[in-house]
Amino acid sequence: MPTPSPAVVQRAHGLEIVEAGVTYSGGVVALAGVSLSLAQGSFHAILGPSGCGKSTLLKTIARIVPLSSGSIARPGDGSFAYVPQGNSCFPWLRAEENVAYGMRLRGVSRGERTRRASQLLADLGLEAFARTYPAQLSEGMRQRVTIARAFALEAPLLLMDEPLSALDFQTKIAVQNELLRLWSRSGCTVVYVTHDIDEALALADNVSVLSARPGHVLETVSIPFVRPRSYAALREQPEYGPLFRKLYTLLGEQ
Amino acid sequence: MKGLLRGSGAPLLLGLLLPAFLLGLWQIAAEQRWIDTLFYPAPWDVAQRTWEQARSGDLLADAWVTNRRLLIGFAIGAIPGGLIGLAAGISRPLRRLLYPLATALYVVPRIAMLPLVLVAFGITDGARIFMVGFSVFFVVFFAALSAAEQVSPMHLETARAFGAGRLRLITTVLVPASAPAVFSGLRIAMGFALIVIVGTEFLASNDGLGARIWQSYQIFDFPSMYAGIVAVTMVGVALNLVLLAIERMALPWVRET
Repeated sequence: MPTPSPAVVQRAHGLEIVEAGVTYSGGVVALAGVSLSLAQGSFHAILGPSGCGKSTLLKTIARIVPLSSGSIARPGDGSFAYVPQGNSCFPWLRAEENVAYGMRLRGVSRGERTRRASQLLADLGLEAFARTYPAQLSEGMRQRVTIARAFALEAPLLLMDEPLSALDFQTKIAVQNELLRLWSRSGCTVVYVTHDIDEALALADNVSVLSARPGHVLETVSIPFVRPRSYAALREQPEYGPLFRKLYTLLGEQ
Repeated sequence: MKGLLRGSGAPLLLGLLLPAFLLGLWQIAAEQRWIDTLFYPAPWDVAQRTWEQARSGDLLADAWVTNRRLLIGFAIGAIPGGLIGLAAGISRPLRRLLYPLATALYVVPRIAMLPLVLVAFGITDGARIFMVGFSVFFVVFFAALSAAEQVSPMHLETARAFGAGRLRLITTVLVPASAPAVFSGLRIAMGFALIVIVGTEFLASNDGLGARIWQSYQIFDFPSMYAGIVAVTMVGVALNLVLLAIERMALPWVRET
Protein backbone atom coordinates (compact mmCIF):
# COMPACT_ATOMS: atom_id res chain seq x y z
CA MET A 1 0.00 0.00 0.00
CA PRO A 2 1.30 3.47 -0.83
CA THR A 3 1.73 6.11 1.80
CA PRO A 4 -1.24 8.47 1.51
CA SER A 5 -0.29 11.78 -0.06
CA PRO A 6 -2.22 14.99 0.62
CA ALA A 7 -3.90 14.73 -2.77
CA VAL A 8 -5.65 11.50 -1.73
CA VAL A 9 -7.33 13.35 1.08
CA GLN A 10 -8.78 15.98 -1.25
CA ARG A 11 -11.78 14.01 -2.40
CA ALA A 12 -12.80 16.38 -5.17
CA HIS A 13 -10.32 14.88 -7.61
CA GLY A 14 -10.98 11.80 -9.66
CA LEU A 15 -7.29 11.42 -10.41
CA GLU A 16 -4.34 13.75 -9.99
CA ILE A 17 -1.20 13.15 -12.03
CA VAL A 18 1.72 15.53 -11.52
CA GLU A 19 4.72 15.52 -13.85
CA ALA A 20 4.64 11.76 -14.28
CA GLY A 21 7.69 10.35 -16.04
CA VAL A 22 8.57 6.81 -17.03
CA THR A 23 12.04 5.80 -18.20
CA TYR A 24 12.48 2.14 -19.06
CA SER A 25 15.67 0.34 -18.14
CA GLY A 26 17.81 0.86 -21.21
CA GLY A 27 17.10 4.56 -21.16
CA VAL A 28 14.00 4.77 -23.36
CA VAL A 29 11.89 7.65 -22.09
CA ALA A 30 8.25 6.61 -22.52
CA LEU A 31 6.59 9.45 -20.62
CA ALA A 32 8.00 12.84 -19.78
CA GLY A 33 6.13 15.16 -17.44
CA VAL A 34 2.52 14.07 -17.89
CA SER A 35 0.17 16.16 -15.76
CA LEU A 36 -3.56 15.55 -15.61
CA SER A 37 -6.28 16.56 -13.22
CA LEU A 38 -9.56 14.70 -13.52
CA ALA A 39 -12.82 15.67 -11.85
CA GLN A 40 -14.40 12.93 -9.79
CA GLY A 41 -16.89 10.91 -11.82
CA SER A 42 -15.70 12.29 -15.15
CA PHE A 43 -15.03 10.31 -18.30
CA HIS A 44 -11.59 11.23 -19.57
CA ALA A 45 -10.24 10.06 -22.93
CA ILE A 46 -6.51 9.87 -23.68
CA LEU A 47 -5.94 10.28 -27.39
CA GLY A 48 -2.61 9.77 -29.05
CA PRO A 49 -0.71 8.24 -31.93
CA SER A 50 0.43 4.65 -31.58
CA GLY A 51 3.62 4.27 -29.59
CA CYS A 52 3.14 7.57 -27.78
CA GLY A 53 2.94 5.97 -24.37
CA LYS A 54 -0.86 5.97 -23.87
CA SER A 55 -0.78 2.38 -22.66
CA THR A 56 2.27 3.08 -20.53
CA LEU A 57 0.46 5.97 -18.88
CA LEU A 58 -2.48 3.69 -18.09
CA LYS A 59 -0.22 0.92 -16.82
CA THR A 60 1.53 3.41 -14.60
CA ILE A 61 -1.78 4.45 -13.08
CA ALA A 62 -2.58 0.72 -12.72
CA ARG A 63 0.74 0.16 -10.88
CA ILE A 64 1.92 -2.30 -13.54
CA VAL A 65 4.70 0.01 -14.71
CA PRO A 66 6.57 1.87 -11.95
CA LEU A 67 6.77 5.64 -12.03
CA SER A 68 10.28 7.07 -12.54
CA SER A 69 9.38 10.61 -11.49
CA GLY A 70 6.38 12.68 -10.49
CA SER A 71 3.34 11.48 -8.59
CA ILE A 72 -0.09 9.94 -9.07
CA ALA A 73 -2.90 10.40 -6.55
CA ARG A 74 -5.74 7.96 -7.06
CA PRO A 75 -9.23 8.83 -5.81
CA GLY A 76 -11.01 7.37 -2.80
CA ASP A 77 -9.32 4.36 -1.23
CA GLY A 78 -6.82 4.24 -4.10
CA SER A 79 -8.35 1.14 -5.64
CA PHE A 80 -8.98 0.89 -9.36
CA ALA A 81 -10.13 -1.54 -12.01
CA TYR A 82 -8.28 -2.16 -15.26
CA VAL A 83 -9.34 -3.31 -18.72
CA PRO A 84 -6.21 -4.05 -20.76
CA GLN A 85 -5.92 -3.86 -24.52
CA GLY A 86 -6.88 -7.06 -26.36
CA ASN A 87 -8.72 -10.15 -25.27
CA SER A 88 -7.89 -10.32 -21.59
CA CYS A 89 -10.55 -12.82 -20.51
CA PHE A 90 -8.97 -15.74 -18.71
CA PRO A 91 -9.72 -18.70 -21.01
CA TRP A 92 -9.81 -21.16 -18.09
CA LEU A 93 -12.61 -19.29 -16.28
CA ARG A 94 -16.28 -19.26 -17.22
CA ALA A 95 -17.81 -15.83 -17.98
CA GLU A 96 -19.18 -15.45 -14.45
CA GLU A 97 -15.86 -16.57 -12.93
CA ASN A 98 -14.02 -14.03 -15.07
CA VAL A 99 -16.36 -11.31 -13.82
CA ALA A 100 -15.81 -12.47 -10.24
CA TYR A 101 -12.01 -12.69 -10.57
CA GLY A 102 -11.12 -9.27 -9.19
CA MET A 103 -13.72 -9.57 -6.42
CA ARG A 104 -12.24 -12.93 -5.41
CA LEU A 105 -8.78 -11.40 -5.09
CA ARG A 106 -10.17 -8.56 -2.98
CA GLY A 107 -11.92 -10.98 -0.63
CA VAL A 108 -15.51 -10.14 -1.58
CA SER A 109 -17.81 -12.82 -0.11
CA ARG A 110 -19.04 -15.58 -2.39
CA GLY A 111 -22.69 -14.52 -2.15
CA GLU A 112 -21.86 -10.93 -3.03
CA ARG A 113 -19.62 -12.05 -5.90
CA THR A 114 -22.43 -14.11 -7.39
CA ARG A 115 -24.93 -11.30 -6.94
CA ARG A 116 -22.79 -8.64 -8.58
CA ALA A 117 -21.59 -10.93 -11.38
CA SER A 118 -25.07 -12.04 -12.40
CA GLN A 119 -26.36 -8.46 -12.19
CA LEU A 120 -23.57 -7.18 -14.46
CA LEU A 121 -23.91 -10.07 -16.90
CA ALA A 122 -27.63 -9.32 -17.11
CA ASP A 123 -26.91 -5.60 -17.63
CA LEU A 124 -24.70 -6.54 -20.56
CA GLY A 125 -27.13 -9.06 -22.03
CA LEU A 126 -24.96 -12.04 -21.14
CA GLU A 127 -27.12 -13.79 -18.55
CA ALA A 128 -27.46 -16.84 -20.81
CA PHE A 129 -23.67 -17.12 -21.12
CA ALA A 130 -22.68 -17.02 -17.45
CA ARG A 131 -21.38 -20.60 -17.52
CA THR A 132 -19.73 -20.30 -20.94
CA TYR A 133 -15.97 -20.30 -21.47
CA PRO A 134 -14.49 -17.27 -23.34
CA ALA A 135 -13.43 -19.36 -26.35
CA GLN A 136 -17.10 -19.88 -27.21
CA LEU A 137 -18.01 -16.21 -26.83
CA SER A 138 -17.86 -13.66 -29.62
CA GLU A 139 -15.28 -10.88 -29.48
CA GLY A 140 -17.96 -8.40 -28.40
CA MET A 141 -19.17 -10.70 -25.63
CA ARG A 142 -15.64 -11.19 -24.37
CA GLN A 143 -15.08 -7.45 -24.17
CA ARG A 144 -18.36 -7.13 -22.27
CA VAL A 145 -17.04 -9.72 -19.81
CA THR A 146 -13.83 -7.73 -19.23
CA ILE A 147 -15.90 -4.58 -18.73
CA ALA A 148 -18.14 -6.41 -16.27
CA ARG A 149 -15.05 -7.74 -14.48
CA ALA A 150 -13.85 -4.16 -14.03
CA PHE A 151 -17.16 -2.68 -12.87
CA ALA A 152 -17.67 -5.57 -10.44
CA LEU A 153 -14.96 -4.13 -8.20
CA GLU A 154 -17.00 -0.96 -7.68
CA ALA A 155 -13.71 0.91 -7.59
CA PRO A 156 -13.68 4.72 -7.75
CA LEU A 157 -11.33 4.64 -10.75
CA LEU A 158 -11.69 2.66 -13.97
CA LEU A 159 -8.78 2.37 -16.43
CA MET A 160 -9.53 1.17 -19.96
CA ASP A 161 -7.00 0.63 -22.73
CA GLU A 162 -8.68 0.67 -26.17
CA PRO A 163 -11.20 -1.88 -24.91
CA LEU A 164 -13.36 -1.77 -28.03
CA SER A 165 -10.81 -1.27 -30.80
CA ALA A 166 -11.15 -4.84 -32.08
CA LEU A 167 -14.93 -4.64 -32.48
CA ASP A 168 -16.90 -3.90 -35.61
CA PHE A 169 -18.70 -0.54 -35.72
CA GLN A 170 -22.19 -1.80 -34.77
CA THR A 171 -20.95 -3.88 -31.84
CA LYS A 172 -18.71 -1.05 -30.72
CA ILE A 173 -21.62 1.37 -30.49
CA ALA A 174 -23.73 -1.15 -28.59
CA VAL A 175 -20.98 -1.86 -26.05
CA GLN A 176 -20.18 1.87 -25.74
CA ASN A 177 -23.78 2.57 -24.77
CA GLU A 178 -23.75 -0.23 -22.20
CA LEU A 179 -20.45 1.05 -20.87
CA LEU A 180 -21.81 4.60 -20.49
CA ARG A 181 -24.89 3.30 -18.70
CA LEU A 182 -22.77 1.35 -16.21
CA TRP A 183 -20.45 4.33 -15.75
CA SER A 184 -23.23 6.84 -15.05
CA ARG A 185 -24.75 4.45 -12.54
CA SER A 186 -21.46 3.78 -10.77
CA GLY A 187 -20.20 7.35 -10.56
CA CYS A 188 -16.59 6.25 -11.00
CA THR A 189 -13.91 8.21 -12.82
CA VAL A 190 -12.91 6.66 -16.15
CA VAL A 191 -9.60 7.01 -17.98
CA TYR A 192 -10.18 5.72 -21.49
CA VAL A 193 -7.27 5.29 -23.90
CA THR A 194 -8.14 5.40 -27.59
CA HIS A 195 -6.66 6.35 -30.94
CA ASP A 196 -10.09 7.07 -32.41
CA ILE A 197 -11.18 10.75 -32.41
CA ASP A 198 -14.85 9.94 -32.96
CA GLU A 199 -14.86 7.45 -30.12
CA ALA A 200 -13.34 10.06 -27.81
CA LEU A 201 -15.96 12.62 -28.90
CA ALA A 202 -18.79 10.13 -28.38
CA LEU A 203 -17.71 9.03 -24.91
CA ALA A 204 -15.67 11.59 -23.05
CA ASP A 205 -16.20 14.71 -20.95
CA ASN A 206 -12.60 15.69 -21.62
CA VAL A 207 -10.01 14.56 -24.11
CA SER A 208 -6.27 14.86 -23.51
CA VAL A 209 -4.05 14.52 -26.55
CA LEU A 210 -0.69 12.93 -25.89
CA SER A 211 2.41 13.82 -27.92
CA ALA A 212 4.68 11.32 -29.64
CA ARG A 213 7.33 9.73 -27.44
CA PRO A 214 8.38 10.85 -24.94
CA GLY A 215 4.69 11.36 -24.22
CA HIS A 216 3.34 14.45 -22.54
CA VAL A 217 -0.06 16.15 -22.65
CA LEU A 218 -0.29 18.53 -25.63
CA GLU A 219 -3.70 19.83 -24.72
CA THR A 220 -6.83 18.86 -22.83
CA VAL A 221 -10.06 19.68 -24.63
CA SER A 222 -13.46 19.60 -22.98
CA ILE A 223 -16.30 18.08 -24.97
CA PRO A 224 -19.50 20.12 -24.72
CA PHE A 225 -22.02 17.63 -26.16
CA VAL A 226 -24.98 16.66 -23.98
CA ARG A 227 -25.64 13.01 -23.22
CA PRO A 228 -26.91 10.67 -24.47
CA ARG A 229 -24.88 11.18 -27.63
CA SER A 230 -25.06 9.37 -30.91
CA TYR A 231 -22.53 9.23 -33.70
CA ALA A 232 -25.09 10.48 -36.22
CA ALA A 233 -26.40 13.36 -34.08
CA LEU A 234 -22.87 14.45 -33.09
CA ARG A 235 -22.04 15.26 -36.67
CA GLU A 236 -24.94 17.69 -36.85
CA GLN A 237 -23.64 19.71 -33.88
CA PRO A 238 -22.00 22.98 -34.91
CA GLU A 239 -19.08 22.31 -32.53
CA TYR A 240 -18.36 18.88 -34.02
CA GLY A 241 -16.41 20.03 -37.07
CA PRO A 242 -14.07 22.46 -35.27
CA LEU A 243 -13.52 19.97 -32.41
CA PHE A 244 -12.72 17.13 -34.75
CA ARG A 245 -10.34 19.35 -36.71
CA LYS A 246 -8.65 20.54 -33.52
CA LEU A 247 -8.02 17.01 -32.25
CA TYR A 248 -7.00 15.89 -35.72
CA THR A 249 -4.49 18.73 -35.96
CA LEU A 250 -3.10 17.99 -32.51
CA LEU A 251 -2.64 14.34 -33.47
CA GLY A 252 -1.11 15.41 -36.75
CA GLU A 253 1.54 17.51 -35.05
CA GLN A 254 3.38 14.38 -34.04
CA MET B 1 -27.50 -39.02 -31.50
CA LYS B 2 -27.28 -38.04 -35.11
CA GLY B 3 -24.74 -35.37 -34.22
CA LEU B 4 -22.76 -37.87 -32.19
CA LEU B 5 -22.60 -40.25 -35.13
CA ARG B 6 -21.67 -37.56 -37.51
CA GLY B 7 -19.31 -35.87 -35.10
CA SER B 8 -17.24 -38.80 -33.87
CA GLY B 9 -18.74 -42.15 -34.81
CA ALA B 10 -18.25 -42.05 -38.56
CA PRO B 11 -14.59 -40.91 -38.50
CA LEU B 12 -13.92 -43.62 -35.90
CA LEU B 13 -15.39 -46.27 -38.21
CA LEU B 14 -13.39 -44.85 -41.08
CA GLY B 15 -10.26 -44.96 -38.96
CA LEU B 16 -10.83 -48.65 -38.19
CA LEU B 17 -11.11 -49.52 -41.86
CA LEU B 18 -7.38 -49.55 -42.61
CA PRO B 19 -6.32 -51.62 -39.55
CA ALA B 20 -9.11 -54.11 -40.28
CA PHE B 21 -7.98 -54.41 -43.88
CA LEU B 22 -4.33 -54.94 -42.89
CA LEU B 23 -5.28 -57.57 -40.28
CA GLY B 24 -7.42 -59.34 -42.89
CA LEU B 25 -4.56 -59.28 -45.37
CA TRP B 26 -2.19 -60.67 -42.74
CA GLN B 27 -4.66 -63.45 -41.86
CA ILE B 28 -5.01 -64.47 -45.50
CA ALA B 29 -1.26 -64.26 -46.08
CA ALA B 30 -0.70 -66.60 -43.14
CA GLU B 31 -3.41 -69.06 -44.18
CA GLN B 32 -2.13 -69.15 -47.75
CA ARG B 33 1.44 -69.61 -46.45
CA TRP B 34 2.63 -66.51 -48.30
CA ILE B 35 4.54 -65.74 -45.11
CA ASP B 36 6.35 -68.03 -42.67
CA THR B 37 3.86 -68.63 -39.88
CA LEU B 38 6.62 -69.65 -37.46
CA PHE B 39 7.74 -66.01 -37.35
CA TYR B 40 4.53 -64.31 -38.44
CA PRO B 41 1.63 -66.33 -37.05
CA ALA B 42 -1.89 -65.42 -38.18
CA PRO B 43 -3.59 -62.65 -36.20
CA TRP B 44 -6.33 -65.05 -35.20
CA ASP B 45 -3.74 -67.40 -33.63
CA VAL B 46 -2.18 -64.44 -31.83
CA ALA B 47 -5.59 -63.41 -30.53
CA GLN B 48 -6.26 -66.96 -29.31
CA ARG B 49 -2.88 -67.18 -27.60
CA THR B 50 -3.40 -63.76 -26.01
CA TRP B 51 -6.80 -64.81 -24.74
CA GLU B 52 -5.48 -68.16 -23.37
CA GLN B 53 -2.61 -66.50 -21.57
CA ALA B 54 -4.84 -63.79 -20.25
CA ARG B 55 -7.22 -66.40 -18.86
CA SER B 56 -4.46 -68.45 -17.28
CA GLY B 57 -3.45 -65.30 -15.44
CA ASP B 58 0.27 -65.11 -16.15
CA LEU B 59 -0.05 -62.55 -18.94
CA LEU B 60 -2.15 -60.37 -16.66
CA ALA B 61 0.36 -60.83 -13.87
CA ASP B 62 3.16 -59.60 -16.12
CA ALA B 63 0.98 -56.77 -17.40
CA TRP B 64 0.35 -55.70 -13.83
CA VAL B 65 4.06 -55.83 -12.97
CA THR B 66 4.87 -53.58 -15.95
CA ASN B 67 1.91 -51.33 -15.24
CA ARG B 68 2.96 -50.88 -11.61
CA ARG B 69 6.52 -49.92 -12.60
CA LEU B 70 5.13 -47.49 -15.17
CA LEU B 71 2.73 -45.80 -12.78
CA ILE B 72 5.18 -45.42 -9.90
CA GLY B 73 7.98 -44.29 -12.21
CA PHE B 74 5.64 -41.91 -14.01
CA ALA B 75 4.52 -40.30 -10.76
CA ILE B 76 8.10 -40.06 -9.48
CA GLY B 77 9.18 -38.38 -12.71
CA ALA B 78 6.15 -36.31 -13.65
CA ILE B 79 5.29 -34.64 -10.34
CA PRO B 80 8.74 -33.16 -9.62
CA GLY B 81 9.26 -32.59 -13.35
CA GLY B 82 6.09 -30.51 -13.56
CA LEU B 83 6.69 -28.58 -10.34
CA ILE B 84 10.37 -27.85 -10.93
CA GLY B 85 9.65 -27.03 -14.59
CA LEU B 86 6.96 -24.50 -13.62
CA ALA B 87 9.25 -23.02 -10.99
CA ALA B 88 12.06 -22.71 -13.54
CA GLY B 89 9.65 -21.12 -16.02
CA ILE B 90 8.69 -18.53 -13.42
CA SER B 91 12.07 -17.82 -11.86
CA ARG B 92 14.82 -16.67 -14.17
CA PRO B 93 17.70 -17.46 -11.78
CA LEU B 94 16.40 -21.01 -11.27
CA ARG B 95 16.03 -21.38 -15.04
CA ARG B 96 19.62 -20.26 -15.60
CA LEU B 97 20.78 -22.68 -12.92
CA LEU B 98 18.95 -25.76 -14.23
CA TYR B 99 18.69 -25.26 -17.96
CA PRO B 100 22.22 -26.31 -19.10
CA LEU B 101 22.30 -29.49 -17.01
CA ALA B 102 18.73 -30.43 -17.91
CA THR B 103 19.39 -29.89 -21.60
CA ALA B 104 22.51 -32.06 -21.48
CA LEU B 105 20.73 -34.88 -19.63
CA TYR B 106 17.69 -34.61 -21.88
CA VAL B 107 19.81 -35.43 -24.91
CA VAL B 108 21.24 -38.66 -23.41
CA PRO B 109 19.27 -41.61 -24.83
CA ARG B 110 17.44 -42.97 -21.78
CA ILE B 111 18.34 -46.60 -22.32
CA ALA B 112 22.04 -45.68 -22.43
CA MET B 113 21.76 -44.93 -18.73
CA LEU B 114 20.64 -48.47 -17.89
CA PRO B 115 24.06 -49.98 -17.03
CA LEU B 116 24.82 -47.04 -14.75
CA VAL B 117 21.43 -47.31 -13.07
CA LEU B 118 21.94 -51.07 -12.59
CA VAL B 119 25.30 -50.37 -10.94
CA ALA B 120 23.66 -47.88 -8.61
CA PHE B 121 20.48 -49.79 -7.79
CA GLY B 122 21.34 -53.42 -8.58
CA ILE B 123 18.97 -55.44 -10.75
CA THR B 124 15.96 -54.37 -8.74
CA ASP B 125 12.53 -52.85 -9.20
CA GLY B 126 14.06 -49.64 -7.92
CA ALA B 127 16.32 -49.55 -10.98
CA ARG B 128 13.44 -50.18 -13.39
CA ILE B 129 11.23 -47.58 -11.76
CA PHE B 130 14.09 -45.09 -11.73
CA MET B 131 14.59 -45.61 -15.47
CA VAL B 132 10.97 -44.68 -16.08
CA GLY B 133 11.04 -41.73 -13.68
CA PHE B 134 14.28 -40.41 -15.15
CA SER B 135 12.95 -40.43 -18.70
CA VAL B 136 9.59 -38.92 -17.73
CA PHE B 137 11.11 -36.18 -15.59
CA PHE B 138 12.87 -34.31 -18.36
CA VAL B 139 10.01 -34.40 -20.84
CA VAL B 140 7.59 -32.99 -18.29
CA PHE B 141 10.20 -30.56 -16.95
CA PHE B 142 10.71 -28.97 -20.36
CA ALA B 143 7.00 -28.95 -21.19
CA ALA B 144 6.22 -27.16 -17.93
CA LEU B 145 9.15 -24.77 -18.27
CA SER B 146 8.23 -23.55 -21.73
CA ALA B 147 4.54 -23.43 -20.82
CA ALA B 148 5.22 -21.18 -17.85
CA GLU B 149 7.53 -19.01 -19.92
CA GLN B 150 4.87 -18.53 -22.58
CA VAL B 151 2.05 -17.42 -20.32
CA SER B 152 0.53 -14.29 -21.85
CA PRO B 153 2.03 -11.13 -20.27
CA MET B 154 -1.40 -9.54 -20.69
CA HIS B 155 -3.01 -12.13 -18.42
CA LEU B 156 -0.26 -11.62 -15.86
CA GLU B 157 -0.63 -7.84 -16.02
CA THR B 158 -4.39 -8.10 -15.72
CA ALA B 159 -4.08 -10.26 -12.61
CA ARG B 160 -1.50 -7.91 -11.12
CA ALA B 161 -3.70 -4.88 -11.81
CA PHE B 162 -6.50 -6.68 -9.96
CA GLY B 163 -4.17 -6.97 -6.99
CA ALA B 164 -2.74 -10.47 -7.38
CA GLY B 165 0.46 -11.02 -5.40
CA ARG B 166 3.09 -13.55 -6.38
CA LEU B 167 1.25 -16.54 -4.94
CA ARG B 168 -2.08 -15.60 -6.54
CA LEU B 169 -0.35 -14.96 -9.86
CA ILE B 170 0.95 -18.51 -9.72
CA THR B 171 -2.27 -20.19 -8.61
CA THR B 172 -4.78 -18.18 -10.63
CA VAL B 173 -2.83 -17.52 -13.84
CA LEU B 174 0.45 -19.40 -14.30
CA VAL B 175 -0.78 -22.85 -13.32
CA PRO B 176 -4.06 -22.86 -15.29
CA ALA B 177 -2.44 -21.16 -18.29
CA SER B 178 0.39 -23.72 -18.35
CA ALA B 179 -1.77 -26.76 -17.69
CA PRO B 180 -2.72 -27.65 -21.30
CA ALA B 181 0.93 -27.71 -22.43
CA VAL B 182 1.93 -29.67 -19.33
CA PHE B 183 -0.70 -32.28 -20.16
CA SER B 184 0.63 -32.60 -23.72
CA GLY B 185 4.03 -33.15 -22.12
CA LEU B 186 2.56 -35.86 -19.89
CA ARG B 187 1.19 -37.70 -22.91
CA ILE B 188 4.53 -37.54 -24.70
CA ALA B 189 6.25 -38.64 -21.50
CA MET B 190 3.93 -41.65 -21.30
CA GLY B 191 5.19 -42.74 -24.72
CA PHE B 192 8.79 -42.42 -23.54
CA ALA B 193 7.96 -44.34 -20.35
CA LEU B 194 6.57 -47.29 -22.34
CA ILE B 195 9.66 -47.49 -24.55
CA VAL B 196 11.99 -47.32 -21.58
CA ILE B 197 10.17 -49.88 -19.42
CA VAL B 198 9.99 -52.43 -22.23
CA GLY B 199 13.67 -51.89 -23.08
CA THR B 200 14.63 -52.15 -19.44
CA GLU B 201 12.63 -55.33 -18.97
CA PHE B 202 14.22 -56.84 -22.08
CA LEU B 203 17.65 -56.45 -20.54
CA ALA B 204 17.23 -56.42 -16.81
CA SER B 205 14.12 -58.23 -15.65
CA ASN B 206 12.64 -61.71 -15.27
CA ASP B 207 9.07 -60.50 -15.11
CA GLY B 208 6.93 -57.87 -16.77
CA LEU B 209 5.75 -57.74 -20.36
CA GLY B 210 9.14 -56.71 -21.74
CA ALA B 211 10.78 -59.79 -20.20
CA ARG B 212 7.92 -61.93 -21.49
CA ILE B 213 8.35 -60.65 -25.06
CA TRP B 214 12.11 -61.13 -24.93
CA GLN B 215 11.98 -64.62 -23.42
CA SER B 216 9.31 -65.77 -25.90
CA TYR B 217 11.51 -64.54 -28.71
CA GLN B 218 14.50 -66.44 -27.37
CA ILE B 219 12.59 -69.76 -27.25
CA PHE B 220 10.95 -69.12 -30.64
CA ASP B 221 7.49 -68.99 -29.04
CA PHE B 222 6.32 -66.33 -31.45
CA PRO B 223 2.60 -66.38 -30.68
CA SER B 224 3.48 -65.64 -27.03
CA MET B 225 5.81 -62.87 -28.15
CA TYR B 226 2.97 -61.32 -30.12
CA ALA B 227 0.64 -61.77 -27.14
CA GLY B 228 3.14 -59.76 -25.11
CA ILE B 229 3.24 -57.02 -27.75
CA VAL B 230 -0.56 -56.89 -27.81
CA ALA B 231 -0.64 -56.65 -24.02
CA VAL B 232 1.97 -53.85 -23.92
CA THR B 233 0.00 -51.97 -26.54
CA MET B 234 -3.15 -52.33 -24.50
CA VAL B 235 -1.40 -51.10 -21.36
CA GLY B 236 -0.19 -48.08 -23.33
CA VAL B 237 -3.61 -47.35 -24.79
CA ALA B 238 -5.27 -47.73 -21.38
CA LEU B 239 -2.82 -45.38 -19.67
CA ASN B 240 -3.25 -42.81 -22.43
CA LEU B 241 -7.01 -42.98 -22.06
CA VAL B 242 -6.68 -42.48 -18.31
CA LEU B 243 -4.46 -39.45 -18.89
CA LEU B 244 -6.93 -38.06 -21.40
CA ALA B 245 -9.82 -38.56 -18.99
CA ILE B 246 -7.93 -36.77 -16.22
CA GLU B 247 -7.09 -33.94 -18.62
CA ARG B 248 -10.70 -33.53 -19.65
CA MET B 249 -11.82 -33.38 -16.05
CA ALA B 250 -9.06 -31.02 -14.97
CA LEU B 251 -9.21 -28.69 -18.00
CA PRO B 252 -12.85 -28.44 -19.05
CA TRP B 253 -12.23 -25.23 -20.99
CA VAL B 254 -9.87 -26.99 -23.39
CA ARG B 255 -12.38 -29.66 -24.36
CA GLU B 256 -15.11 -27.18 -25.07
CA THR B 257 -13.07 -25.09 -27.48
